[in-house]
Amino acid sequence: MFTRFANAFDTLSSIQNAVEAARRSDFSGYSTTQRRVYPFVNLFQENDNTVLTAEVPGLKKEEIKLEIKDNLIRISGKRKIEYPEKSSVHRLERRNLNFDRTIKLPVKVDVSLVKAEYQNGILKVVLPRAESDKPKSIEIN
Amino acid sequence: MSEDTNKMVVENKKEVSLEKAQTIPGKQYIPATDIAETDKELLLYMDMPGVDRKKVEINLNKNVLSINGQIDYQPNGDLKLIYSEYNSGHFTRRFELSNEIDQTKIEARMNDGVLFLKLPKVPEKQPTAIEVN
Repeated sequence: MFTRFANAFDTLSSIQNAVEAARRSDFSGYSTTQRRVYPFVNLFQENDNTVLTAEVPGLKKEEIKLEIKDNLIRISGKRKIEYPEKSSVHRLERRNLNFDRTIKLPVKVDVSLVKAEYQNGILKVVLPRAESDKPKSIEIN
Repeated sequence: MSEDTNKMVVENKKEVSLEKAQTIPGKQYIPATDIAETDKELLLYMDMPGVDRKKVEINLNKNVLSINGQIDYQPNGDLKLIYSEYNSGHFTRRFELSNEIDQTKIEARMNDGVLFLKLPKVPEKQPTAIEVN
């Protein structure tokens, strides 16, 4: 991976780039884990369905945008938090407001069969595997 | 220095370690809370995703306001977890109120996992403007 360079500094910086690329890439082996990104998601599997859940309280259904292509799912939205005029704020802990995150799934998804629901602040998306993605067994003669 | 404050900090839920044993099994978390104050009232906004409004318990004892929210583990309990970034658990938090609050007039509303509490102040304690002659 490292070709020979004319001077030591190029070697060092290529090592640094490689380490940073490894950090940004896929640690878990399943989905993209861009560190420090919101919302946090959990992935479940049931037969040929992948189920994604995320905690995104305080939004209306229309404010959450879901886009899917092949094995990528993108969740984005903007949460509006308003306080009454003339109020002084003593404590602000709810900080995760805008989000835009793309996650790589372990399978390709059949977009026409995807079902998503949002209840009590939890987004749940059921992603059925695309027919073309399922392995087919081949008989040997 | 100024660059650091522009980076978004994503925080995980803070878990609570309780001194007493729980009767209901499960982890307990502290809900992220915003507190705002106007002349007439104190407003609390608490994020409790996964908690249905029927599962929220708000108790006021002397001056301590305690809030408990139970989540339902069932919907995903039977599915096989393949990747996890967050844990689910019940929510609990206690606040000590001052005497400024009229404890009989506290209102609570819950929508989309956010609990909103309105604690009106006792009328005599609201700031009044005094005119100077």
